[in-house]
Amino acid sequence: MNVSRFLGKSILYLAAFSAVFPMVWTAINAFKNRVDIVTPTPLFLFTPTLDNFAYVLGRESVAAGLVNSLLAAGGSVLIGALLGLPAAYAIARYPNRWSADIQFFVLSLRFLPPVAVAIPLMVIWLDLGFYDTRFSLIVTYTLLTLATIIWLGVPAFARVPKEVEEAARVDGYGPYAVFLRVALPIASRSLIGAVAFAFVLVWNEFLIALMLTTSDAKTLPIVASELTQLGRDVPWGILNASVVLLSIPPLLLIGILSGLLNNAFRRKSN
Amino acid sequence: MKPRTSLPAVFLAPPLVILAVLAFVPTAYAIYISFRNRELSRPDGSFVGLANYIDLFSDRRFINAVGVSLTWEVITVTLTLLVAIVLGILLFEFASMRQRAVLTLVFLVPVILPRVSAAFVWKFAFHPLYGIITYPYKMITGQPLDVLSSPATALMTVALVDVWQWGLFFAVIVLKLLETLPPQPFEAARLDHARRWEIYAYVALPMLKAPLISLTFIKMIESLRAFDLIYVMTRGGPGIATETLDMYAFSQGFIESGRISYASSMAVLMMLATTVIFTVIWKRVKP
Repeated sequence: MNVSRFLGKSILYLAAFSAVFPMVWTAINAFKNRVDIVTPTPLFLFTPTLDNFAYVLGRESVAAGLVNSLLAAGGSVLIGALLGLPAAYAIARYPNRWSADIQFFVLSLRFLPPVAVAIPLMVIWLDLGFYDTRFSLIVTYTLLTLATIIWLGVPAFARVPKEVEEAARVDGYGPYAVFLRVALPIASRSLIGAVAFAFVLVWNEFLIALMLTTSDAKTLPIVASELTQLGRDVPWGILNASVVLLSIPPLLLIGILSGLLNNAFRRKSN
Repeated sequence: MKPRTSLPAVFLAPPLVILAVLAFVPTAYAIYISFRNRELSRPDGSFVGLANYIDLFSDRRFINAVGVSLTWEVITVTLTLLVAIVLGILLFEFASMRQRAVLTLVFLVPVILPRVSAAFVWKFAFHPLYGIITYPYKMITGQPLDVLSSPATALMTVALVDVWQWGLFFAVIVLKLLETLPPQPFEAARLDHARRWEIYAYVALPMLKAPLISLTFIKMIESLRAFDLIYVMTRGGPGIATETLDMYAFSQGFIESGRISYASSMAVLMMLATTVIFTVIWKRVKP
């Protein structure tokens, strides 16, 4: 093993360590009593406790945040998928002279600074009487999920072999049947990735939720961030536990998301 | 030939109408309230013309926020791309196929984490008394190290978290891009006795110029979303050392005075600047 090889591998392993260690350390701390966290020297050996998780899961605000997060993310992703997947298919398979403009418009929504959307929306929802409701949060998030699912869905549908669709058409399938029974199942793996990505995006979203909710509709990231802003006598174990809880759903989807990445590049190289 | 069908209209019209409404109504409303003097405590307000915009230019905190935002963009975009290219090449050069598969998953972890989580995890790691990163410094010097409370290091420390999230993720993409390249140019360069770094610097990276520019573009857009990290880690502090534009707009509109109109005028300027700049770049990059 020569020097550059050793050096290169060391850097890679160091980067990999840096990628996972902070979260692992947080998870370890989530099982510590406060006295074991507030030590002059970081402790690796300690008596684990489930108190932190029990406390977090037993708190009403966390339970409410969890429900709100699931409803906001689930609802907006569902609407985004129901409307976005057909739209993506239409763009991929029925190009017209506005297709490029439509795609650019969808992308350009990403240019909007979130704060620039959130401030006026807060005023609008206040005026309409829907401020701090799950409804307003779902509608607002639909802007995110719909744009994301269209953006990622177009290449997924474009990768479906045209011949298969032609064959189905020859067999007497109408255009809607071709979409539902042929294109959708064949592209489903990439599409699941796109939907999972939209879910993670909304689940992790912070700024809009912070501005559009104050109590009733607060999502989990807001609840967690409020815990992190507690006063002097910080309950570190509880904080670590709530951060772990918040991070679990996206981490569970990591396999699907890396599959999406692999698909996107594998086909390009062929 | 495809038969004439209603499918494109049926499939495209509803989502596009919804997107247009959800995007244009807030935009138009932001412009509308930025010409008024509405506050959270006083819902009506009256028309004040360009007063909010004129005030902005004599607001030293606003000028500071513009500077912080620009610094943030430059630091995070540059470092992310640098980290991504170096690690991507190392992955391509030294990792076996199986190692690549494992490292790909590992490198995706930071970017998938909610930013609130990432921000807290690092904030705690940098804690002057109990942090695991500051521990060695404290042990050697006997002094606590408080990087997030020092104006000189706070922004850099938050930027580190952003680069940690995006640099590792982009490294995976650089690896995938390198894997799509044909092997012949590499072999030709090797036959010409090119050194290893020369192959990458003069052969591989120039071949990836277009996708790398796209990556830079994506990161420029994503770097605008610095708010979550800064909110959790420093809240714009110490003082206003890490107060970006979105942080300042947020604190003007909500925390301090509820000056919604003033915050809106900032939001409108941000919207204008980013839309114009990114549209120009996008049209240039994509022929």
